[in-house]
Amino acid sequence: MDKVIELSGPPSVSWRRVLRIRHPWATLLLLFLILLTMAPLLTLIFGSFSNSTEIGEFKDFGLQNYARAYLRKTTLVILGNTLILTAGSVFLGVSLALSLAWLVERTNIPCKGILYAAIPLTLAIPGVLHAISWILLFSPRMGYVNRWMMTTFGLSTAPFNTYTLHGMIVLEALRVVPTAFLLMVPLLRNMDTSLEEAAAVSGAAPFSRLRRITLPVVSSGIIAVLIYETITVLETFEIPGILGLPARIYVFSTKIYAVTQGLETPDYGQANALAMAYMLMAAVGVLLYARATRRAEKFAVITGRGYRPKLLDLGWWRYAAAGVAGLYLTLTLVLPLLVLFWTSLLPYPAMPSEKSLALVSLDNYRTIAIYGATWKVLKNTALMVAATAVGTIVLSFFISWIIVRTRFWGRGLLDMLAFLPRSIPGIVKALALMWIFLVLRPYFPIYGTVWLISLGFILSFIAYGTRSITASLLQIHRELEEAAYLSGATLPVTFWRIHFPLLVPAFVGLAIWSMFLSIRLTGLPLMLYEGAENQVLSVFIWMMWDDGQMGAVSGLGVLTLLFLFLVAVVMRRMGFREVGAHR
Amino acid sequence: MVKVRGLVKRYEVDDGDVQAVRGVDFEVPQGKFFTLLGPSGCGKTTTLRSVAGLETIDDGEIEIDGQIVTSAPRGIFVSPHQRDIGMVFQSYAIWPHMSVFENVEFPLTQLKAKPPKSVIREKVLRALSLVHMDGLEDRPAPQLSGGQQQRLALARAIVREPKVLLLDEPLSNLDAQLRAEMRFELKSLVKRLGITTLYVTHDQLEALTMSDQVAVMHGGKIVQVSSPKELYRKPKDRFVAGFIGTSNFFEGKVLTVGPSNQLSSVEIAMGTLQCFLPEATHRGAAVVLAMRAEHFEISLDKRAGAENTLKGKVSNLLFLGESLDCHIEVDGQLIHVKAPADLAIEDGDEVFIRVPPERCIAVEVRDS
Repeated sequence: MDKVIELSGPPSVSWRRVLRIRHPWATLLLLFLILLTMAPLLTLIFGSFSNSTEIGEFKDFGLQNYARAYLRKTTLVILGNTLILTAGSVFLGVSLALSLAWLVERTNIPCKGILYAAIPLTLAIPGVLHAISWILLFSPRMGYVNRWMMTTFGLSTAPFNTYTLHGMIVLEALRVVPTAFLLMVPLLRNMDTSLEEAAAVSGAAPFSRLRRITLPVVSSGIIAVLIYETITVLETFEIPGILGLPARIYVFSTKIYAVTQGLETPDYGQANALAMAYMLMAAVGVLLYARATRRAEKFAVITGRGYRPKLLDLGWWRYAAAGVAGLYLTLTLVLPLLVLFWTSLLPYPAMPSEKSLALVSLDNYRTIAIYGATWKVLKNTALMVAATAVGTIVLSFFISWIIVRTRFWGRGLLDMLAFLPRSIPGIVKALALMWIFLVLRPYFPIYGTVWLISLGFILSFIAYGTRSITASLLQIHRELEEAAYLSGATLPVTFWRIHFPLLVPAFVGLAIWSMFLSIRLTGLPLMLYEGAENQVLSVFIWMMWDDGQMGAVSGLGVLTLLFLFLVAVVMRRMGFREVGAHR
Repeated sequence: MVKVRGLVKRYEVDDGDVQAVRGVDFEVPQGKFFTLLGPSGCGKTTTLRSVAGLETIDDGEIEIDGQIVTSAPRGIFVSPHQRDIGMVFQSYAIWPHMSVFENVEFPLTQLKAKPPKSVIREKVLRALSLVHMDGLEDRPAPQLSGGQQQRLALARAIVREPKVLLLDEPLSNLDAQLRAEMRFELKSLVKRLGITTLYVTHDQLEALTMSDQVAVMHGGKIVQVSSPKELYRKPKDRFVAGFIGTSNFFEGKVLTVGPSNQLSSVEIAMGTLQCFLPEATHRGAAVVLAMRAEHFEISLDKRAGAENTLKGKVSNLLFLGESLDCHIEVDGQLIHVKAPADLAIEDGDEVFIRVPPERCIAVEVRDS
């Protein structure tokens, strides 16, 4: 281990250096990461040319899969749907988030404390539950809101239909808001106010200041947020899965899932071919994001001491603004919770009335508790979440350590490999992992276990993990550890006494973050689902919904949400304010 | 040109209000360089920002060029963008999304009567040339060095030829050598342009070298306003004497009071000193005498008849190049003395130090 902290010598790459292997551990980690990221990718690419009907078998190479996937009008429709859903929800969501961030940071809107606390809290709601609650509210036949409006206003048809592209766009936009909000609040808060003051003393009126100074300065940040949210929505599965699949409105992620679930024979070759275009789109997004954030960092170089900016007095408009914020919270937080809770008390969804009140009972909760599968699912979920958190932290820490503290020749490559899996949409990653671990089944029998799900999540999470731990490591001055070495401490002792205590907040933050995400995300575990052995909570909810057990699903949803909210609130108390800011 | 009367500014903090500025009055005549000097937290920056209109005030009035721009009792407040001022910020506040040219051009484009393009260009180039930044106008602002950013901020502040130039610790982010250079440059530039300048700093050297008038602030109040020379020679109280230069303080009791302009004698712990006291000081009053480190004469043998001589031992020596910084121990008390660099003394030597009576300044007098 001592060689890892080789501190001197130029970082030049020469083959002699490489072959002598100056950093054996770092090299080993690099090889491991190459294997972990490249092997699934290559299998996926090879598989897209293979015409075997069996997954994991390569034969009869040709372009038939591509023909089946792309020489059809439906694929164009899917492409269109994906773009419309992404563009629409990102534009709507980021605009709303920017307005909310501006309102709480720069104006005297009332109830700021509630907004600061409640908007990030909406992050905790899993997409599947959000979509289910929206069906209960806005589906044309049984949606509570629709039925209430029809009886109240005497409408003959339901005013809302959530099983449409528009319905998906609105819900996805609401789900974009919290991350975009969390990313934009610091943007507005950290902007050096003396830039605006300098414009004021140069004779610029308030509107001119906003247009010529404030917006251009934060624009690169806003662009980065836009691209970030685009990547996120592009790979989203839950909303188009629950709302779109019944209406046969496909986007790339749901189409790939549908193809692998083919009624008679799953067409994995075609799924792979579809994944190629999808992956390309995501990769372009990730590259753009990397470029945009580099520019943003360049802008961030100039900052001054912070005077708290004077808040804009909105006058009576502040109540209107608070109303808009309240409506947002009602739609994203209050109504979904209420509707899930109400439905969980009933044998079947029914409008609140004297008759339905008589039906209220805790039967659904009793069913959940005595249903044998529940406990198995909870155990699976706990194992999967724990493995994901530990794996993410350990892998992220070692990668960050090598990048920050050594002169290992492959640091740049390591950094890139940690970021690469982020550019592969979750569904595609699951597909690739499925291929490779079916091939490797005789040697590594982890296909069909929760460990494979964890591995998939870890691969997705190390991009954020290395960035957050690298940032924390950079804050620990190198001289702190050098002083420990000079005091006679070995590397492990130094880590245990110096780094670990200083990094604990970063580790805990990362653990909570990965826990939230791995509970919430449905696409990857659903693709890898094989049976009771690797069924986790999100898949369990999905399957119960598919079976039409609305009451039990609602009850499970209420319990899940209460648990996640509780964790989020405890974390806030402990000071981890931006848990889950990056999906 | 700039008049500030009875300025009071309070800040809300978690546990109540804090008074940042507690009744400040001063006046800057046309074309003069006026400095607010004081330690951090003394209210000098708040005062400057109030003049700029970046802070609202709780009491008092501010007048620029005969126009009341802020008045708490009369409820007048002219927005900063409607005041004819230029300002250099401590962080420079260079707009990162604009080039050098665009930064300097911006104030001109905000004029009510926007001048034609050719005039704007000419004015921008002249301002850049005044700060020695010719040829850099197309450079993106983030690519400038610290010194260049400082010059750019200055060019942007003077390009409209404002009535008043406000400078908020503009040199504090530069390295020592550049700072010394910019002191001369800044002073000669504003003198040449004849702009009334209000300068804020915590650096006594900047205040003494550049200003026509210096106001020393402490705890939200102005303690003394005078020319740099007078500030140095006749500090009004113990705070000013301690803040400007290195001073030694001795508490003592008045033994005899001479008639006007005559020597008095004061008894301090290590002997009796001759000095001049303010008028109407009584026998027996408690006084604090201040003596600057550079005003001591130091010698190895006692000169006959010289008054105010103390015998001590060298306890610490620092060679500064231009001088020697020594601590002389006299009766257990350390006295900070600046001696010529070539003086042949060493640690532990026995020496005599003397301070002329006119260099003993009474900074505090309390009748007992």
